[in-house]
Amino acid sequence: MQFNAVSFGILIALFAVVTVVGFAAARWRRAEDILHLHEWGLGGRGFGTFVTWFLLGGDLYTAYTFIAVPALVFGTGAAGFFALSYTVMVFPIVFVFAPRLWSVARVHGYVTPADFVRGRYGSRGLALAVAFTGVLATMPYIALQLVGIQAVLTVLHVGTGSSNAFVKDLPLIIAFLALAAYTFVSGLRAPALIAFVKDTLIYVMIIVAIIYIPIRLGGWGHIFGVANTHLTATNPKTGKPNGSLIVLPAGEWAYATLALGSALALFMYPHAVTAVYAARRRTVIRRNMAILPAYSLVLGLVALLGYMALAAPGLPAVVKANGANPQLSVPLLFQDMFPSWFQGIGFAAIVIGALVPAAIMSIAAANLFTRNVWVEFLRPHASPAEQTRVSQWASLIVKAGALVFVLALSKTFAINLQLLGGIWILQTFPAIVLGLYTRWFHRWALVLGWAVAMVWGTIAAYLVPVPGEPGTHFGGSSDTVPIIGHTVYIAFTAFVLNLVVAAVATLVFRAVRLPAGADETRPEHYEADLGPAAAAPAAATARASAAAKTPDD
Amino acid sequence: MTHSSPTRRRTGAWILASVLLLIGVLGALIVPIYARSSPAWGAFPFFYWYQLIWVPVVALLSGLAYLLTRPSGRPEPGPGQPPGQPQDPTRAGDAR
Repeated sequence: MQFNAVSFGILIALFAVVTVVGFAAARWRRAEDILHLHEWGLGGRGFGTFVTWFLLGGDLYTAYTFIAVPALVFGTGAAGFFALSYTVMVFPIVFVFAPRLWSVARVHGYVTPADFVRGRYGSRGLALAVAFTGVLATMPYIALQLVGIQAVLTVLHVGTGSSNAFVKDLPLIIAFLALAAYTFVSGLRAPALIAFVKDTLIYVMIIVAIIYIPIRLGGWGHIFGVANTHLTATNPKTGKPNGSLIVLPAGEWAYATLALGSALALFMYPHAVTAVYAARRRTVIRRNMAILPAYSLVLGLVALLGYMALAAPGLPAVVKANGANPQLSVPLLFQDMFPSWFQGIGFAAIVIGALVPAAIMSIAAANLFTRNVWVEFLRPHASPAEQTRVSQWASLIVKAGALVFVLALSKTFAINLQLLGGIWILQTFPAIVLGLYTRWFHRWALVLGWAVAMVWGTIAAYLVPVPGEPGTHFGGSSDTVPIIGHTVYIAFTAFVLNLVVAAVATLVFRAVRLPAGADETRPEHYEADLGPAAAAPAAATARASAAAKTPDD
Repeated sequence: MTHSSPTRRRTGAWILASVLLLIGVLGALIVPIYARSSPAWGAFPFFYWYQLIWVPVVALLSGLAYLLTRPSGRPEPGPGQPPGQPQDPTRAGDAR
């Protein structure tokens, strides 16, 4: 780990290119009036199959994919591959319900997932619960993007040599100021355009890595062999092996529920919903579900970088010497294996790969605040221009919050909070996805199920100790389920609890005839395509002034 | 909505599409299928090459499901596109 001017220079150059693209994006598909949430927050709702593919790919595959997943594989082996299984499952599942969400959002001009919940159940409280969960789960996710950038900067030895805390964090702060500025100006158009650069870099990086590194390391047989030796070695802290090359029978339930729980949760995140809403036509969504797995393949190959890092001579020792931070493994691998100029490209791929989702996440969280808190509770008659202004400033605050998060807390803590994010966000699934199909669930029963699952999931995660360190907290995301006796992803157990509570409470609330709330949607709204689009902005403005009356037609 | 025969054909297509998607999900969800090291493919244990191969398989299944369920026979342009959509002429380029 030493400063390398060539790789750093290339990283800076690509970062500068991306910054220019980010500002220029304001002129891309120029809107008549960018001071409208449909423009700033959803890119004019006009992205076709091609742009949506880059946008969703750039949005869903984050620093978690490029840093945290290979780090998990580096540390525990096969268990980390649940991420591949998860990204395989997610697209067939989303294929089924996302077009319905897109259609109803287009008809009524919804900007956030909570907007739909409000319209469907006529419940401001349930919408607030969904919005709150979205912002809560997004913050640590943005923080994680910063952790990814930090890992690259640490390996590059930028700033980290200084003992002054401010100088140390300065490169990260500069990167984030640039991101904040062009997101503020260009809205969703910035990450959508930068996603082209990001994804090109990612594909180039992974294709070269997957061919070149195994040749340098003596072939795949050698890589799997060395990885197996490392994984079967006993961990002195826990007295058990570090991991395994194949998932063991005891780990199968955790593997499957982590994959399924994550797959169900992914499109509940506000940033994923934002990219869905931004699509131009209903068919764009389904077509994308068939072509997005190209990124899953990238994820699978990136995960294998964790094994290459284990097999690189001396690398595991360097990781151990640097606070045993496995997140350094991929950047270190690049530094070990590649010539300086290509290191720069690989590092830029990771950094820009973290900036794109961070931008979309902050936009999505800002929209939640604007639509479901500001307009709903504070300024019901806010004009579209005012809503956009509020979202612009809220996106800055969200990013500043995430920055404080990373600078103030330890990195391991941020990763564990990301796992908590999954536990939380999955609890909005019943209100959103089941709501796309049925109004059977009572709105307050959904609130109750959500509340119980949120509390239970958070407590259960709090009680999981770090392996080998009894008495510690937030050490993992899986726990033994009392009755079936298997280890299961806590998000999934909480989700089942959520459904049961919501169903039972619905029966009770219906029996005592609690008011069900008005539903502004009609069955055909869930099938609608481009037709009513022209009415959407008008509908959104009408909705601001609010009673639950059907605004279209 | 009221034409019964196209509706029935759509229902059939949806059932078939759902089966294809379900196969895709179950192939990844049922871990005991692939939690083994043999048969290896070159140096790759079964666990790894199966999951990597399953990615394009699921893409193919989703693609078939898309073809089965897309509205009418033609993907573009859709029915009932009103004239004078404000965003249309400049943005048609990437619609496909």
